[in-house]
Amino acid sequence: MQGILRIENASKSFQAPEGGVIRALDNVSLTVAHNEFLTLLGPSGCGKTTLLRAVSGFEDLDSGEIYIDGQPVSDQPAHKRPVNTVFQRYALFPHLTVERNVAYSLEVRGIAKAEIRERVGNMLELVGLAGMGARKIGQLSGGQQQRVALARSLVAQPKILLLDEPLSALDKNLRHKMQQELKILQHELGISFIFVTHDQEEALVMSDRIAVLNGGTIQQLDAPEELYRRPGNEFVARFIGESNLLDATVVSVEGASCDVVLTDGTVIRDCPVNGLKQGDPAKVLIRPENLVESVGQSSADERAGHEISGTVSESFFAGTDYHLVLACQGLPPVRASLRAGPGTSHHTIGEQTSLFVPHDAVHLIPERGAPA
Amino acid sequence: MSKARRTLENRRRLTLFGLLLPPSAFLAIFFLGPLAIMIVYSWLTPGLYGGVEWKFFHLNYGRILGWADTKYERFDPVYFEIFLRSVKLAATTVLLSLILCYPVAFWVSRMPEKRKNLVIFLITLPFFISLIVRLFAWVLILRPTGFFNQALMGLGLIDEPLEIIFTGTAVVIGMVYVFVPFMFLPLYASIEKLDLSLIEASQDLGANRIQTFFRVILPMTLPGIVGGSIIVFIPSLGNFIGPSLLGGAKVVMIGNLIEQQFLSARNWPFGAALGMMVMAAVLVLLLYYIRIVTREERQADGPNVAEEVAA
Ligand SMILES: Nc1ncnc2c1ncn2[C@@H]1O[C@H](COP(=O)(O)OP(=O)(O)OP(=O)(O)O)[C@@H](O)[C@H]1O
Ligand SMILES: [Mg+2]
Repeated sequence: MQGILRIENASKSFQAPEGGVIRALDNVSLTVAHNEFLTLLGPSGCGKTTLLRAVSGFEDLDSGEIYIDGQPVSDQPAHKRPVNTVFQRYALFPHLTVERNVAYSLEVRGIAKAEIRERVGNMLELVGLAGMGARKIGQLSGGQQQRVALARSLVAQPKILLLDEPLSALDKNLRHKMQQELKILQHELGISFIFVTHDQEEALVMSDRIAVLNGGTIQQLDAPEELYRRPGNEFVARFIGESNLLDATVVSVEGASCDVVLTDGTVIRDCPVNGLKQGDPAKVLIRPENLVESVGQSSADERAGHEISGTVSESFFAGTDYHLVLACQGLPPVRASLRAGPGTSHHTIGEQTSLFVPHDAVHLIPERGAPA
Repeated sequence: MSKARRTLENRRRLTLFGLLLPPSAFLAIFFLGPLAIMIVYSWLTPGLYGGVEWKFFHLNYGRILGWADTKYERFDPVYFEIFLRSVKLAATTVLLSLILCYPVAFWVSRMPEKRKNLVIFLITLPFFISLIVRLFAWVLILRPTGFFNQALMGLGLIDEPLEIIFTGTAVVIGMVYVFVPFMFLPLYASIEKLDLSLIEASQDLGANRIQTFFRVILPMTLPGIVGGSIIVFIPSLGNFIGPSLLGGAKVVMIGNLIEQQFLSARNWPFGAALGMMVMAAVLVLLLYYIRIVTREERQADGPNVAEEVAA
């Protein structure tokens, strides 16, 4: 794929002040398509900012190469790269007005005054700040500053816009609003966005694809739904959404499905095989919201091989769902969120119960280090 | 406002008043008092044998600025020339110490914490030695048989010793040396405060180093530049130890003139009038500084408009 941005085997280490070496980026490769909204998601310190800074030109890679629109950029200084950044703390110029902040990139390029005025005016309108051009940065709310930062970067018409946790300083309502606006804006402008966040919900809602990073490596790069339903490894499964991860061994394979046995001896049948072979160890991922109450399911026959039984050890009602924790002998606690519908009822602690595992609710993750 | 609140408010006001009274009184008596005396004296008639006669007299200023034309008090352009020369020397001192300190302040601000403190300590270290001794050291260095000339001649760069001592150059060198810490500290404070992400933002938006310097770094550190310049300019303008040691009889600055009027010529009103000239120059600068700083502060904490959240 010839995308707008291609990163090849990017590695970057820092000398830790305490001694030792931090591998901030470890052989990272990825491609961003034209007009794509790609999110870098990962816990604090996983290298998200470092990756963005490598793209924008503020961090030199130890090895690897970055191509923007097919051109290698490693010897291009930051100010010559056709990318712009919305910084985490906005980094707006406090000594300039909103208008001059937005005009900055045009002024330094020596564009004619009349054109600057027009483009800045249009941009302020686009981000909903029309009429505020004369204000100083100190006279804006957090949300307005965020928009100025956005306008300031977009007015330069970058090929790629980099956004480093631009919404993390906003309160929840404003954040949701800005999420939608950003998405719409990206779609309208047709610019590729690389968006950094450590909020998985934000990532799922906004992205075309998400790259999950941990410890400087890309754990998985996929569309949100794929990432959620079929995480490639345990880290991704745990990092995104709620998860039950149970140790299991494959007992038999039959075409595209297989049976596994859990550590307590429970057999779960008809799981998607996901490249596993008989005898392979695997992690069974079951999302809490995919478990349903067994009582409603038709016959015992149908339920056989699709059930987990245990004692209710926690139970509470949370409006849309009943949250349960099932203690099963030989298994870690199993969480379930049962939709609070007409058929579901409150479970009391200590009660023996079984939960039904629909066959498409199971995802098998090959154990790390397992023979391929 | 409830009654309890009001009592609390009153008590707080009383405490504040009590705390502020002593320093205010001190400043009023020992700072404003002498200043008022100087202002009044500058408009009085000089006494025949020192002191003053309590009669209004405007020719003290006339002698400096050009309207005195009597038998005793005549306008002499030399006073204003000395004043202008002093302004020039002081301005040169400011400029040189600024050029010296600005890059160094940047350099120090990037050092690790421990080294920073050491360097700042080193920069203030000369204060531990008497000013006279430090300036006299420069006399020894700059005189024809001094270290500087000896070194240059030893290297074969010059044949004759350079005439540096007792010139304006020597005075400026001495003053730069003495006042560099005054320039460094305010500069350092504003450069240290400078948000590095603003520099990156500037580059990110396509500005090269030079554009970034003039559009972001310079305006953001302007309060430090102006502050340091004023703190150096004021004592340089009124300086008389530097010129008397390093300038000899040839380079007289307004400070020396004032000193002479008070101590040898015993013409206090004229000395006071000369002093007022210095004050006026300084005041203009201070007003300019206040304007810059308040503008900066207004930007930093302007009224925050309420967050607009979609209803
Ligand atoms: N200049 C530096 N010197 C030393 N170590 C650094 C430097 N910059 C980053 N690191 C280290 O590199 C790792 C990755 O940092 P990075 O800023 O990319 O994390 P991040 O994913 O953006 O985290 P966050 O979500 O907290 O912003 C961290 O362990 C960090 O401590
Ligand atoms: Mg970061």
